[in-house]
Amino acid sequence: MPVVALAANPNVGKSTLFNALTGESAHVANWPGVTVAVNQGRVTHHGLEIVVVDLPGAYSISAGSAQAAEAVTGQFILEHSPDALVVLVDATAMERTMYMVVEALELTGRVVVAVNMMDVAERRAIHLDLDGLSSALGVPFVGISALKGWGLGVLLDRVVDVLEGRAGRRGPIRIDYGPLEPYILEISRILSRIGGLGRYPLRWLAVKVLQRDEGVLSLIGEADPTALSEVRRVISRAERDLRAPPEELVIESRYRFIERVLAGKIRTTRLVSVRLSSKLDEVALHPIVGPVFSLLLLLLSFTAVFAVNAGSPVDLILSSLGFEEAAVIISEYNLAGLVGSAFDYLTSIVSSALESAGLPAWLSSLTSEGVIGGLGLVFSFLPLVFTVFFLLGVLQDSGLMARVAISADGLFRRLGVSGRAVFPAVLGFGCSVPAVLATRAMDSDEERVTTALAVPLIPCQARMVVALALASSFSDSPSVQAAFLLALYGIQVLLYLVSIRVMRRMVVGPFPPPPMVMELPPYHVPSARVAWWYARTNAIHFLKKAGTILFAVNVGFWLLTHLGPGGYVEDPSGSVGALLGSALTPLTGLVGLGDWRVALTLVAGFMAREAVLTTLASISGAVDPTAAVSVLGLSPAQVASLAVLSMAYTPCAATISVMLQEVRLLGAVGKQVVYQLVLSFLMAAAAYWILSAFAG
Amino acid sequence: MELIRMERPPVPLSVLPPGSRGIVVALRAGRGLARRLMEMGLTPGVEVTVLRNSVGPIVVSVRGVSLALGRGVASKVFVRPL
Repeated sequence: MPVVALAANPNVGKSTLFNALTGESAHVANWPGVTVAVNQGRVTHHGLEIVVVDLPGAYSISAGSAQAAEAVTGQFILEHSPDALVVLVDATAMERTMYMVVEALELTGRVVVAVNMMDVAERRAIHLDLDGLSSALGVPFVGISALKGWGLGVLLDRVVDVLEGRAGRRGPIRIDYGPLEPYILEISRILSRIGGLGRYPLRWLAVKVLQRDEGVLSLIGEADPTALSEVRRVISRAERDLRAPPEELVIESRYRFIERVLAGKIRTTRLVSVRLSSKLDEVALHPIVGPVFSLLLLLLSFTAVFAVNAGSPVDLILSSLGFEEAAVIISEYNLAGLVGSAFDYLTSIVSSALESAGLPAWLSSLTSEGVIGGLGLVFSFLPLVFTVFFLLGVLQDSGLMARVAISADGLFRRLGVSGRAVFPAVLGFGCSVPAVLATRAMDSDEERVTTALAVPLIPCQARMVVALALASSFSDSPSVQAAFLLALYGIQVLLYLVSIRVMRRMVVGPFPPPPMVMELPPYHVPSARVAWWYARTNAIHFLKKAGTILFAVNVGFWLLTHLGPGGYVEDPSGSVGALLGSALTPLTGLVGLGDWRVALTLVAGFMAREAVLTTLASISGAVDPTAAVSVLGLSPAQVASLAVLSMAYTPCAATISVMLQEVRLLGAVGKQVVYQLVLSFLMAAAAYWILSAFAG
Repeated sequence: MELIRMERPPVPLSVLPPGSRGIVVALRAGRGLARRLMEMGLTPGVEVTVLRNSVGPIVVSVRGVSLALGRGVASKVFVRPL
């Protein structure tokens, strides 16, 4: 089956095109030699089935084994030689977006250029001579609007033409790099002696070498270190002789080539003023109004998302305002609650059915609590994940995301990440799971990983519930309770900010963060369809990756709490888990929590933080957590210690699942968990010992 | 005899007021940043229009695309005003 790859700059509508072509068949796939999983789907055109691979948006094509979008694009094209390459450009920004086309054409002649956003160009009276461009470069240029569905049939016709050899160039283009040509020749000669560089076109490699492309240079270094020093000497010589950095000359030559190609082929008959966009940006990019506007926008949208999905924090707001019935309705009838109830119902049906069928108790418990409970847990996140991605899709499509990111950039850049980290951060106050997933919207891989590892420190809604319950056990005075909560929250948020620095150091090293250069896409009226595709793909990906991990963890946890030394136990206090809890007591005793029952609640809290409260109650036989505290005889210092620990001792199982899904480096996630463990223990110890000293 | 060309000297992008246009003359930035700027279209010889330059990021239009640049970044792009 022929393979067609899609490549383009970000913000050119590649995802829209990909989804318009592949629809329901889209899924995530791993290709050997490609370091990042890519989206892939199928399209059938006139009876021919074609595999379409969506390469990550990039500004250029590189090589080597990095995970950056530029490298991934190069890895795929070079390792797997797609039968055709569709490069997407923006009809309203041809000069810049053609750069990618040029880089592609230097690699292969089997290219179709899809000129997207023809609808916007039409509105702005921008006219393009596509046939002229086709003649000039020897590859088909097809005008499309992925959003409106224009030209997709014609695009596929041309793609099939290229697949069947009727269109496209026989070989890559050759750009005249002027004074660099002799150096290109020299480097090519050096490279031709190296074995193991077979699949890479020599000239392309030589030009990339002159660009000081890290991926290509490390590739050469690995193949033949002597050759690497030789070519480095050539680069230095070129720089000296030409009195300018060769990488600049390379890029300039390409742009000069583009200008010559485009000359006379773009006509604008009438310039439409972008007055509304500017007016909007006067607000959105204003240094004071901008952040306020952005914060309001974020808070409003995320509160709405969380209210619909989990009930909180709207139910708390409503009940504190006195609207008790409304609060109860919201907290009962929300999507996560409904999914949970549905699965609870299913569990009870299944377990009574199994029991009446005469199956042993352990099997019935495993099936209902372990398996169905696990499925229920995974699916309870689904509505939240879906709506969060839908919202992010709308923000991205409308252009608001870039503006919000710029407003937040001031705060976050000092810590080492871009302003895009504000989205996961705000989400983190609701739930860490969508917060970690939202890091997909970030620009670079290092930023993504750094943020994904830091954001679980932000206290989520579940932790807020635990904090509230423990605050009322800590003291009867409302003002002391408030101070307690404020201190807890404040420390956690501070910890989060510090952790960004720490995680960045761990992931990237002691390098300063790159300065801000962000593309500002024009405002669009967001398309619900585009947001839907985005949400659907990511939700399914979540189910398959994190969902599987979480399900496995849940079953594992069932085993831990239902297997005792003698076999199946119904009551977890006789299980291996309880033994684990007891074994941990010397450790937890260091922070004043030496009771094995408390240790067990901490073990339980790993699955879901609210379990700390329910386990506390059930294990002490009390009716609620506050009563449990008195039954267990916990002093305020101990309550404080427990509260501090519960905030951050470990990310919950679901969060670890999504961290593994997004970060993929087991070592990094492991270090993060240890980091949280150690840090929270230290703080709990501090809280316990300081408060004990005060209480006398 | 050499004609002295009365061109305006190059200035950092960060000092140009909104609405002004210029030609990029040089990028006085480290390799990584220079490369990124160039890939996004800011190459020597290209015309750039300043869209926003009050407090906050500087927004310019180059090759038909709007870019938001940090102030520090913009001060490394040298432009000959038109």
